[in-house]
Amino acid sequence: MTKANVVAVVLSRLSDEDIVVCADGAISREAFRAFDRPRTFYMIGSMGQVASIALGLAMTRFERVVALDGDGNLLMGFGGLALVGGMRPPNFFHVVVDNGCYATTGGQPALSQRIDLASAAAGSGYVWARRCDARDRHFEAAVDAWLASPGPAFLDVTVDPRDSHPAPRIAMTPEAMARRVREALGG
Amino acid sequence: MTVSRRLDALRAAGVEFVAGVPCSYLARFFAACQDLPPTAFLPAVREDHAIAACAGAWLGGRRPLAAMQNSGLGYCLEVVASLHLTNRIPLPMLVSDRGSATDFEEHRVLGQRARSLLELFEIPWRAAGLDPDEDARWLIDIADKTAGPAVLLVGKDGDV
Repeated sequence: MTKANVVAVVLSRLSDEDIVVCADGAISREAFRAFDRPRTFYMIGSMGQVASIALGLAMTRFERVVALDGDGNLLMGFGGLALVGGMRPPNFFHVVVDNGCYATTGGQPALSQRIDLASAAAGSGYVWARRCDARDRHFEAAVDAWLASPGPAFLDVTVDPRDSHPAPRIAMTPEAMARRVREALGG
Repeated sequence: MTVSRRLDALRAAGVEFVAGVPCSYLARFFAACQDLPPTAFLPAVREDHAIAACAGAWLGGRRPLAAMQNSGLGYCLEVVASLHLTNRIPLPMLVSDRGSATDFEEHRVLGQRARSLLELFEIPWRAAGLDPDEDARWLIDIADKTAGPAVLLVGKDGDV
């Protein structure tokens, strides 16, 4: 399974009420193509801040908040794990689409290949943290177990780094997209 | 329990969520933040994470405030540029005014350029005056009007 498949599977498991924050770059574009929804915030920069934006939402809302992260993105803002683990919001669900490289910039290898991200999350205070492989037949069960677990919960999903049909840029201005999220949440 | 006129004024002006990294110039303010409800104060690990969380709180419908030393502005720049300024998200900021000639060496290089940095990014700022309520109203109002970051600079004697 590729990044696009994993993003689609995660989104298919959510209700309309759930709030999603998507990592900038390919993950946001894939999420927009797979299933655009008003309660999804699509980052277009600020690499490394997926968990922090999602934490601000989780602390202010009662709904489930899903951080749809990438491995390079997580590593850039690794302090975000400490913030989430330390604050321990029960409605926080963090998933890392882990291709082991910087795909957007040409596939340069990332240090995530040598780091146990789930252990780092558990050590930071996440209540539940696992690793799985999207190419494994138990993958969808792992996604279900992650979403059924107490939060904050963390799932590191290894994916095939190849990407044959990358999604195009999001057809919405950043301002309109941000206001759509806020309005969907009653603000 | 510590009383901070600065925090009280900002809350009266509408602030509902505070995220930040402490500075000794803001010791009283941060001490008072400890008594906020657990979902209203985020003791962040670095200033860029603090302002990103503030963006999340704003999306969630709450009015945020980021608080930090001016050295943290450096860490914030890319997030201010690509998140708050690009998506037009209001961000009131309470920032200590470090770096005077009598301050420690490590504060001078960035501290003495902080105002220029804010002006380069067209971020409205002003130095705190004698009335915390007036300062707070200005900060919240200008961040809302410009739909972006705005900075209230607080000197050594401003942590009231």
